[in-house]
Amino acid sequence: MTEKDLIQNLKGLRQEKPNQEWVSLTRQRIFSQEPEEQKMDFVLFTPFFRYKLAMAPVIAVLTIIGLFGFAQNTTPGNFFFQFKKVTETAQVSLSSGAEKSSAYVRLANKRLEELNQIAGTSQVQNLSQTIKEFQTNITEATKNLSAMDVNADSDAIKEFVAETRKLEENRLKVETVLGAKVGDTQEFESALLQLEKQMAEYLIIDLDSRTLSEGDQTLLTEAKTYFEAGDYSQSLEKIWLLSNKY
Amino acid sequence: MANLRKTYGKIYDQYVDKIYRFVILKVKSQEAAQDLTSEVFIRGWEAMKTKGSKIDNMQAFLYQVARNLVVDHYRDTAKAQLVSVDFAPVIDHSLNLEERAVLKSDMDQVKTAMASLKDEYREVLVWYYLDELSAPEIAKLTGKEEGNIRVLIHRALQALKEEMGEV
Repeated sequence: MTEKDLIQNLKGLRQEKPNQEWVSLTRQRIFSQEPEEQKMDFVLFTPFFRYKLAMAPVIAVLTIIGLFGFAQNTTPGNFFFQFKKVTETAQVSLSSGAEKSSAYVRLANKRLEELNQIAGTSQVQNLSQTIKEFQTNITEATKNLSAMDVNADSDAIKEFVAETRKLEENRLKVETVLGAKVGDTQEFESALLQLEKQMAEYLIIDLDSRTLSEGDQTLLTEAKTYFEAGDYSQSLEKIWLLSNKY
Repeated sequence: MANLRKTYGKIYDQYVDKIYRFVILKVKSQEAAQDLTSEVFIRGWEAMKTKGSKIDNMQAFLYQVARNLVVDHYRDTAKAQLVSVDFAPVIDHSLNLEERAVLKSDMDQVKTAMASLKDEYREVLVWYYLDELSAPEIAKLTGKEEGNIRVLIHRALQALKEEMGEV
């Protein structure tokens, strides 16, 4: 026999294999001696579980924060909107005077944005609720307008007027989409007009007493012209351009 | 633990045939080979759980355990180099009758010849020709020099040839 044949014969012994049933049974036998994995025991012994009592309030707080965070994107009619309203009410209660009115107008703007959002969806049942909320904000803003002091709150009033410009733009946008008027803002607009008149009058008197450059004098004259015409909003625009310099 | 079981499961599947063959060619009894092979893997599992990644070469570890168990078996039963009646080869059933008869005959001859070799020769022939381990791997297994292993393989083959000549 050659070496090659011998090796060939030797390699034939590879056919020597165990019974497959025995192989499977042995495998099972090896691992069946292991106890079931005690996952729960592991959990019970982790530091987290040990301090579960201390963690409960932390988890509760985090859940509430999460809820309020989630609620910011909700609209009136949604269950979680009440959490959003709590946040908004808190923000308003912290402000006073002209800032309070600005806060209400900001909320009214939010309602208009939400109306725009709802108008594009099938959530029409939430429309009336949102319009109602908008009206409430406008009413509150109007109440606070009378509390404004044009002498002391000029910066706050400036911000307030800017918010009302946005309000007007948003309302027109929503009314175009819905094809109907949104809320009753007549009283608000009357009060706003009064406020703008008082503000413009106060600032014109103040600027008249100052020495102005030729360009600035022109602006003041334009402001006075708008004021005489009853366009207090435009008058204020000119005046604010000037008053930023002085 | 689940990962460890999965890993060892793969090791078991990879080496069970080889270890069984290694053992049965030494003890020549199917029953004894099954018992000893089971014991090899049970001990391997225990080692895996306690030492885990510290075992560099699982193959070498299993072979070493198998060798030790066979030595213990010889000592306990004093059945060194005896052929058992139930030492029957598993033949490939895809072969026809004539092929099977020829193969059985050749295999029987080789097995009988292998049984007559000393342990050292038989081991190295099994590792090199059946399990296809390289000389360096066998050197690692046995703790011998690679050069010595090559010489050993050559001598083992010559010894087998002589035994076959006499069979």
